[in-house]
Amino acid sequence: MVFPATSCQFAISSRLGIFCPLAYGESTTSNPFCSKIVGMDSTGSPKRPNLLNHLLLPLNVIEDQFGRGVVLVGQVIIIWFKAIACMLTGRIDWREAFRQCYLIGNQSFIIVSLTALFVGFAMSLQISRELVAFGGDTAIGGVVSLALVREMGPITAGVMLAGRVGSAIAAELTTMMITEQIDALKVMRVDPIEFLVVPRYIAGLLMMPVLSIYAMTVGLVASIWISMIAANLPPATFLDSVKQTILDRDFGVHFTKAIINATLVIMFSCAVGLNTRGGAEDVGLATTRAIVWVMTSIFIFNYVVTSLTYAPR
Amino acid sequence: MAIPVHTDQKMIEIDQVEKSFGSHRVLKGISFHVRAGERLGLIGPSGCGKSTLLKLITHLLEPDRGTVTVNSPEVGLVFQGSALLNSLTVRENLALALRRRKLSKKDEESIIQEKLSFVGLSDFLNAYPTQLSGGQQKRTSFARAIVNDPKIILYDEPTTGLDPVMSTIIEDYMIKLGEESNAAAIIVTHQYSTWTRTAERVLLMHDGGAVWEGTPEEALKTDNPFMRQFAHGYKEGPMLEGLI
Repeated sequence: MVFPATSCQFAISSRLGIFCPLAYGESTTSNPFCSKIVGMDSTGSPKRPNLLNHLLLPLNVIEDQFGRGVVLVGQVIIIWFKAIACMLTGRIDWREAFRQCYLIGNQSFIIVSLTALFVGFAMSLQISRELVAFGGDTAIGGVVSLALVREMGPITAGVMLAGRVGSAIAAELTTMMITEQIDALKVMRVDPIEFLVVPRYIAGLLMMPVLSIYAMTVGLVASIWISMIAANLPPATFLDSVKQTILDRDFGVHFTKAIINATLVIMFSCAVGLNTRGGAEDVGLATTRAIVWVMTSIFIFNYVVTSLTYAPR
Repeated sequence: MAIPVHTDQKMIEIDQVEKSFGSHRVLKGISFHVRAGERLGLIGPSGCGKSTLLKLITHLLEPDRGTVTVNSPEVGLVFQGSALLNSLTVRENLALALRRRKLSKKDEESIIQEKLSFVGLSDFLNAYPTQLSGGQQKRTSFARAIVNDPKIILYDEPTTGLDPVMSTIIEDYMIKLGEESNAAAIIVTHQYSTWTRTAERVLLMHDGGAVWEGTPEEALKTDNPFMRQFAHGYKEGPMLEGLI
């Protein structure tokens, strides 16, 4: 049976339920959306494009992206529930979890240090400059620490972990899918969630708060240093301001954000990795997809937590 | 040498199985069975559904219609690309397959040693898959597939990509294992030497169905146009109609 390229493309778009009678000839390389929009007339030839079809193209792409996003979020929720079920029933490979702690935590310290250091430098430089102009030097420590504890600490650690660990997990699991290693696990009756996802999740839950607090501390030290140089502010004055401004609740929120970020990084990376098929090119695409979703969701959930805890009532 | 005992017990039964991926029907109502101790060669052109059948037997896929009956709790599968876990050593790859049996360290070690010595890889216990040659990886995959003494063993292109000498060695392991374990085996292959040497019965697949069945000797003499074309590698014949 012959499956010409155009009919395969038709099948793909039909399966997604998004087919509309658009046509751009048989080319599949010049137009990245071509596989979604090729249709055929009654003779089997590609349909000719028209103005309406051109106008509908962006809607078609949005529909496809939205549909794939909904599927991915569903996969993330399913994997998360399964991982929680494994953890609650004690099905945890602690040896692998500690190995992942090393890979996720220890190996991220240098990159998190560097990032947090420069975030602290830039923030305190900006804030010192403005507050000194208004005679508010003594508030520098408070303002900087508020930003670091409530927002920048968790976000810096989350984003760095997404880039360093999320991409690695997505690439590793996608490669395992493509090379049938996941199928081999299933044939050996080893649950891929228990063997691959749970140790990474536990490592993320343990190491993300540590990295997050570490990023916050490095940022604060950098800020103290810059405040001394840029605003002649003694460290003691800076720290006094920090003590008066930061509440216990801020650390609770910081910890909550770190836990949520760990969940987002690990679950999205694993869900993308475990649901990708194809070849070498798909490893790169899966990695990009995981990173985009993890970073976007980190910023969205950061806002949600902030609005639930700090919004004026 | 132990003589394989072919009993009447059907270890694998495929009955009117259909499977589609999207609009592409891969299997179109195929039926066959494999008895205990029997080695069935599943041959046919690329894309005719051989590997899909193996995935149905191992429950990696579910059929759309029909039934797949597997009369053994333990099924071993030798993957085409070996599918060893690269982050684990040879020992750990085999130990992973044994994990759910919760054996003592000593028993586990003894089984791993036994299976690795069967495939001549006793000295590679602590090597990682990336440190092994293609043939060694295939033999490790073989050892992993038989580590739980399965009564059903599936081979997905076991000799593809190997040199003739290594292919012969792997084929010898398959024959030896069949004789020693009395396990039912399905050997999916394109390699002429593999199915003629290792299979006792051959099933030729084409376009999602079975088009010929018999012994390897019969396969070389039959007038069936599909089998004649496949066995002798003729370009002319019904197998490629509509494809090229």
